[in-house]
Amino acid sequence: MKNLIPYFTLGYPDNQTLMKFLRIMPVNKINYLEFGFPSNDPRYDGPTIRETHKIGNKNFNDNLYKDLFSYFHKNRIKMYSLSYYSDIKPKFNEFIDYLKSRSFSGIIIPDLIIDYYSEAKDTINYLNKNGFEYIPFFSPATPDKIIIDISKLTDSWIYYGLQPSTGIDIPYELDYTTERINSLLPGREITYGFGIKTEEDIKSLMKSGGSGVAIGSYLEKMLAKNDESGFLEYINRIRGALDA
Amino acid sequence: MITSINKDIMPENWYNVVPDLPEPLAPPRDSKSDFSSINLLNKILPREVLKQEFTFRRYEKIPDEVMEQYQQIGRPTPLIRAKNLEKFLDYNGKIFYKYEGATASGSHKINTAIPQAYYAKNEGVNGVTTETGAGQWGSATALAASLYKLPAQIFMVKISFEQKPLRKIVMNLYNGNVVPSPSNLTEYGRKVLKEHPDTTGTLGIGISEAIEYALDHDYRYMVASVMNVSLTHQSVIGQETKKQLELLGEHADVLIGCVGGGSNFGGFTFPFIPDHPDTEIIATTADEVPKFSRGEYKYDLMDTGGILPEVRMYSLGADFVPPSIYAGGLRYHGASPSLSLLINKGRIKSDEVTQDEVKEAIKIFANTQGVIIAPESGHAVATMLKYIKEHKNDKKTIVVNVSGHGLLDLSIFGDTQ
Ligand SMILES: Cc1ncc(COP(=O)(O)O)c(C=O)c1O
Repeated sequence: MKNLIPYFTLGYPDNQTLMKFLRIMPVNKINYLEFGFPSNDPRYDGPTIRETHKIGNKNFNDNLYKDLFSYFHKNRIKMYSLSYYSDIKPKFNEFIDYLKSRSFSGIIIPDLIIDYYSEAKDTINYLNKNGFEYIPFFSPATPDKIIIDISKLTDSWIYYGLQPSTGIDIPYELDYTTERINSLLPGREITYGFGIKTEEDIKSLMKSGGSGVAIGSYLEKMLAKNDESGFLEYINRIRGALDA
Repeated sequence: MITSINKDIMPENWYNVVPDLPEPLAPPRDSKSDFSSINLLNKILPREVLKQEFTFRRYEKIPDEVMEQYQQIGRPTPLIRAKNLEKFLDYNGKIFYKYEGATASGSHKINTAIPQAYYAKNEGVNGVTTETGAGQWGSATALAASLYKLPAQIFMVKISFEQKPLRKIVMNLYNGNVVPSPSNLTEYGRKVLKEHPDTTGTLGIGISEAIEYALDHDYRYMVASVMNVSLTHQSVIGQETKKQLELLGEHADVLIGCVGGGSNFGGFTFPFIPDHPDTEIIATTADEVPKFSRGEYKYDLMDTGGILPEVRMYSLGADFVPPSIYAGGLRYHGASPSLSLLINKGRIKSDEVTQDEVKEAIKIFANTQGVIIAPESGHAVATMLKYIKEHKNDKKTIVVNVSGHGLLDLSIFGDTQ
């Protein structure tokens, strides 16, 4: 089964609404969940997600989500944190301990290899030692050698962004993009994200060997509109495209 | 010397350095929080240009139609061994120069103007628009647009417009429309004029004006430099040079070029990055625009108006207004992200030269090789002269990129000759 990974920024649009949508989430249709911990500087996100961080930052209250986190854990939905290194660096170890205490499986750090390349290796090794998954995050702009070197440090799945940032719509060549990452990392589990919209895109990504997709901006818009049925319908459609 | 029109020297693909960089390139970032300047690129750039800016293929096939025009405007350009200069300097090594001044428009700028105009034409837009400093880019844009029968609206930095009336005539001959920037044609231009009526203009202001004009008139914006796609197109320079050196049985020990936004420099040197790890590479700027020594490596605006995304680069600040040096094309506040990264990682070194050194270099080059080079290129040659003085006995093979001729910049010699 291909992986469907919905993304939510914690605290957006407000805690109650987000919790309501999480409760109606059909756990049999999704595989992992990605939670954005509100960032002071979500620099590699597009306008939609950036806005969610701004609002999430004001609202987010960890205590409220405790039960939901453990509910997903019990339902075998792996949870990953999306956190910016610029935010968590000062208290990195504590933050990882906290995530573990909330049953998270791993972490995606979009700015680690871009802005803190010299610290990346040690950081990844620390996570390995602590039994916490580091999910490498790459984009078409990541140099070949970096993709190979960083991937070697872990055996987790890979998060491959199709766009320079979330919710951006720049023309890209799907075939070339998938060919490139497949040839650099043969046999590796690749999940695509950043700017995936159409079901056609999803079908071709899966046909080329992709193992799943992460979706974010579109869901956040549904939450903002409080559109429960649209939300469920969208999850169903994506699930369908993945399994087609 | 290899100067013949030899198709074999021309590469079939453009080369993009991004997949070969030592560290990941920071992606462009929206400069405002309420709208996406990255999405805006969809409206101002031809689709294919935008795709090339972001797909990061190592090799991008040069379309046949572009190849044909490259030949029409004089590619491949000559790589010439500067024996007279070697003798004059009493240098035991070898000096070569790649001469981009031999193109029809007189500089390397035409190498990216042609594909950009070609892609714009294919999309059936109303025309193309851009900014120009010294006028080289404006001339190339006007020529490329005229080759594809597209109207061109050019915003020329006011001080250059006043100092270089001949440039305007060149652009007009190529059917280009030219106005001094800031101008009354755009809201941004009118705002700057109101706040700073005496401004001499900057490339940053010109960029903002051109983009606004593109949005309002369904024109496409032509990217002179800085953005990766322009460096990719310019890679014909370096790839030809590599091939020419290979045919001569030579190996480049040192590559030197000048940097405005980085297009001629990146195009000339990047093709050497993957397989010439020992080649020393030096980027020259003007003393007055010390972006690499005094600029900060940070996210900054590409244009003063902040319409384009921010990129991580060496920058003196988007509102930096440099003194009016000889080389209008080197007054830009920043430098291309890929070049900035390679400088930051120490793969590429930088140098700065004074206006006196530039003038002297142009004179020496004219007296020995007979070619009157552009003041921008004069910076690269000045660095080379310094380098040779410091490495007199090293017997190196030095290749310098002469990005353009200076026949329309002679006023810098005016009365002081
Ligand atoms: C002859 C010449 N060389 C160099 C430059 C600098 O631009 P870039 O750094 O993009 O090559 C210019 C810009 O106008 C130019 O006209």
